[in-house]
Amino acid sequence: MIVFTVLILCVIPATRYYQIDQPLMRWLRGPNRVDPAELHLSGEFVENNLGTEIDPDGSVTVRMIAQQYLFVPHCVLVPAGVPVHLRITSADAAHTFALIGTHYAVKALPGTITEAQLQFANPGEYTAACAEFCGAGHFEMRSELKVVPREQFQALDSVKRGGCVAR
Amino acid sequence: MWRDNQVRDFHKDDPLDSLRSCSWQPGMAIATTTVVLLAVIAGTSLLNRVNAGSSHRVPSNVAWTPETIAQASSGKAFRGLLLAKRCEHCHGAEGFSPVGSTPNLAGLDKLAVWKQLEDFRDGKRSSPVMEPIAQSLSQRDLADVAAYYAELPVYADPQDNRVFPEPNAQASHSPIASRLVAFGEGSRGIPPCQACHGPVGYKPGAPSLATQNADYVLAQLDAFGDGSRANDINEPMRTIAALLSDSERQALATYYGAGLGLQPGGASDIAPKPLKLP
Repeated sequence: MIVFTVLILCVIPATRYYQIDQPLMRWLRGPNRVDPAELHLSGEFVENNLGTEIDPDGSVTVRMIAQQYLFVPHCVLVPAGVPVHLRITSADAAHTFALIGTHYAVKALPGTITEAQLQFANPGEYTAACAEFCGAGHFEMRSELKVVPREQFQALDSVKRGGCVAR
Repeated sequence: MWRDNQVRDFHKDDPLDSLRSCSWQPGMAIATTTVVLLAVIAGTSLLNRVNAGSSHRVPSNVAWTPETIAQASSGKAFRGLLLAKRCEHCHGAEGFSPVGSTPNLAGLDKLAVWKQLEDFRDGKRSSPVMEPIAQSLSQRDLADVAAYYAELPVYADPQDNRVFPEPNAQASHSPIASRLVAFGEGSRGIPPCQACHGPVGYKPGAPSLATQNADYVLAQLDAFGDGSRANDINEPMRTIAALLSDSERQALATYYGAGLGLQPGGASDIAPKPLKLP
């Protein structure tokens, strides 16, 4: 009887490990899982961690949240000729971050982080549109991505963290 | 007789017999593994709690998990009615405030009222008046008050002799506001207001603006725009308000202040026409 009880106690977490919200279980599930309702409380998608970040190897990481009906940050600044690691997640429904005029379209799904590596050879301005019908405001869900020369980007980044929202 | 012998022989050759005499049984091994695993989980969760006190900015402690939504909507409206006697002086006996800079609370969504009270309590939204009031209320009171205001009617009932503010459709029907409410502006990435603030669509915590005061709407748009109010989760309103020009903010405030948000905007809504309330 005792053996049976203990066995059951072991089997429950072993089969439901994905429902246990503990750091060890998060590590076992893999790194790319987030709670869409709690993005703003902790983790890498908190407010002051969004936008562009320069990595030690010279490439940049862009973190974005797609939500009904906005991409946050609304305007992103990245350097030209450098790998851009995009990390995007959704706070509610399924969205797609599609850069018009390029072949880049990255899905943003609630509960998971989508990673993509982009690279822009030349400076320019792109419009990103949502390419996944997400609700009543889907057709107005757009944001900007500005590619600037590398030297200019580093100069700008000391002032503002790669953001270019008019504020 | 022969059966006894057989049973005895069977017991003699039982491979489990040696295990039974051993004190280290498999059950105990599993139990020990479980205890060690639980200890590791408890330890890591404790570590996580210690690390949580980092310096990132949290706009609001409210997260729309199913538990939070259940808690925010669990209020009892009758108890809220008694509590809301304190709110009457500024927010009006029927939820329509006599002063334009104070919000109307009649018919507002439970979650919206609850979230603002919760943010006032935590100091995430600053107001010298509302912060001490919200701090004096208990967790249960917040849900009760929110439930009460959600049940107040926003338009006159024929069987009721209460007086409601009359919408002023003619004076304020500007095409700028109608277009923004109905369609937003895709080229600048501004979504339509009615997709989240109703009546076309709602998001948890987004209040209906159907019967809001113009002065209050304008003040909040300005506060979101310059960042002095920053309690919107994942910064949707700060982004949108920063994209709106001063004249657009003014037009939207007048539109909602006139009670035009009761009906969904549409293509025919761009042209001025008299409004008929239900």
